[in-house]
Amino acid sequence: MNAPTGLDFASIPERIQSEVQRAIQRSIKGVEYFSTSGPSLGSTPKDVLHSRGTMSLYHYRPMSDEIYRVPVLIVMATTNRGYILDLVPGQSFIEFLLKRGYDVYMLDWSAPRPEEKSLRMEDYVLDFIPDCVRRVQADSGEQDVSVIGYCFGGVLSLLYGAIHKDGPMKNLICFTTPIDFREMKLFSNFSDRRYFDVDRLVDSVGNVPPEMILSSFEMLRPASRTVSQLQLWENIWNDEFVKSYRMFDRWATDTLPLAGEYFRTITKDLMWDNKLFNDTMSVGGRAAKLQDIKVPFLHAVAEHDHIVPYEAAKHLIAKIGSADKEEVMLKGGHVSLVAGANAVKRLWPKLDSWLGKRST
Amino acid sequence: MTDKTNDPVAMWQKMMGEMEKGFNSFANQTMSSPEFSQVVNRAGGVAAGAQKQLGELMEKYLVTMNLPSREQVTGLAERLQSVEAQIGEIKSMLSRMAAGSGSPQGVDAVPRPPRTRRPPSDGDQT
Repeated sequence: MNAPTGLDFASIPERIQSEVQRAIQRSIKGVEYFSTSGPSLGSTPKDVLHSRGTMSLYHYRPMSDEIYRVPVLIVMATTNRGYILDLVPGQSFIEFLLKRGYDVYMLDWSAPRPEEKSLRMEDYVLDFIPDCVRRVQADSGEQDVSVIGYCFGGVLSLLYGAIHKDGPMKNLICFTTPIDFREMKLFSNFSDRRYFDVDRLVDSVGNVPPEMILSSFEMLRPASRTVSQLQLWENIWNDEFVKSYRMFDRWATDTLPLAGEYFRTITKDLMWDNKLFNDTMSVGGRAAKLQDIKVPFLHAVAEHDHIVPYEAAKHLIAKIGSADKEEVMLKGGHVSLVAGANAVKRLWPKLDSWLGKRST
Repeated sequence: MTDKTNDPVAMWQKMMGEMEKGFNSFANQTMSSPEFSQVVNRAGGVAAGAQKQLGELMEKYLVTMNLPSREQVTGLAERLQSVEAQIGEIKSMLSRMAAGSGSPQGVDAVPRPPRTRRPPSDGDQT
């Protein structure tokens, strides 16, 4: 029975008992948390097809009796590890694709070594990606390759597709990919050309340290880390919550350094001059215009993306030259769009229905 | 069932959510100013300069202590990686030879499923 205030007095003893039990569980699970490692991530069976410095190309072992003709190459963002797309069974995008009959390859990155500070945008767009595409073709025996790029992996895929307009890319899918860098307001302010001396930074440190990349991401939502730690303590009795927290926290803090020259180009060409948006971008002297991409194209964006706000991504669909193109906005944030419980219900089935009919 | 509006735990959670939003929004406004960029980048420039100087000092220290420099260690790492890459290539070649054909079957040499899959028709859940 509710009191006039709406407070249910009858349930108070039950509630106190439940909170006491949770407090006990928190103490037990809290000890467990610090004495155990998190779940094993990225464990879908795979072979390393090729590895060269910062670049690794994986092939995942098929999980269905019949696969689509066209293989899929996933290009991961250069700031983060690819296992965000292969968390644990049941929450792995890779596993989902394999079970739906795709032949999946991933171009993943490891931390560039100090001597790789001289890697340029050209190395990524005109060497690493084409090299991986050739190896996927050789390994699969197919000429056509579909490319999926996540975040800045999407930017690299766009540059690759715009320059290699005669193929062999058959379909292009971008997840949360920015093209209008003026609209990444805080990043834009952090790298304000009047105050940010990118030459001095790169000349001093070589590769841009991961701590700097991580803190620039965290500064976008400075209170969120503290709040998420409070939420962890509050929910530490809940094994599913803790498992999910550990997966995402480990990935988010496992940020990669960026090769110095590559970072210099990103800052000058994209952050300062917004060349991709202005159709003036070139890589190694080769023009990269989005209108030159003519293959079927899907862009998935997240409604609550604080890293790549919609304003930074929304013009991509109009600028792409493809006749067959679609933008889909789904609930979620920058990471929850592609990974975790919500992605299982939202993005993955959408991608499957779009890509399946274009993969035969 | 407890009324959510009077549940202390729910109220606490709601308050935390609101505080997070409010603080993030306030911080974002502050960080959008040119003054913030100027201050942060000045501090960052000093830190980068200090890091460079520290690196140079460490190099001198290692030479004095007769320890290998980073350049020498990375040189060794590079050679090791080159050897690993060559082993990978040889492994791949051997797997293909073992499979007894020049047909592309991948490094695992396990026969792959046929590339005959068709998309399910509308309404089919497979």
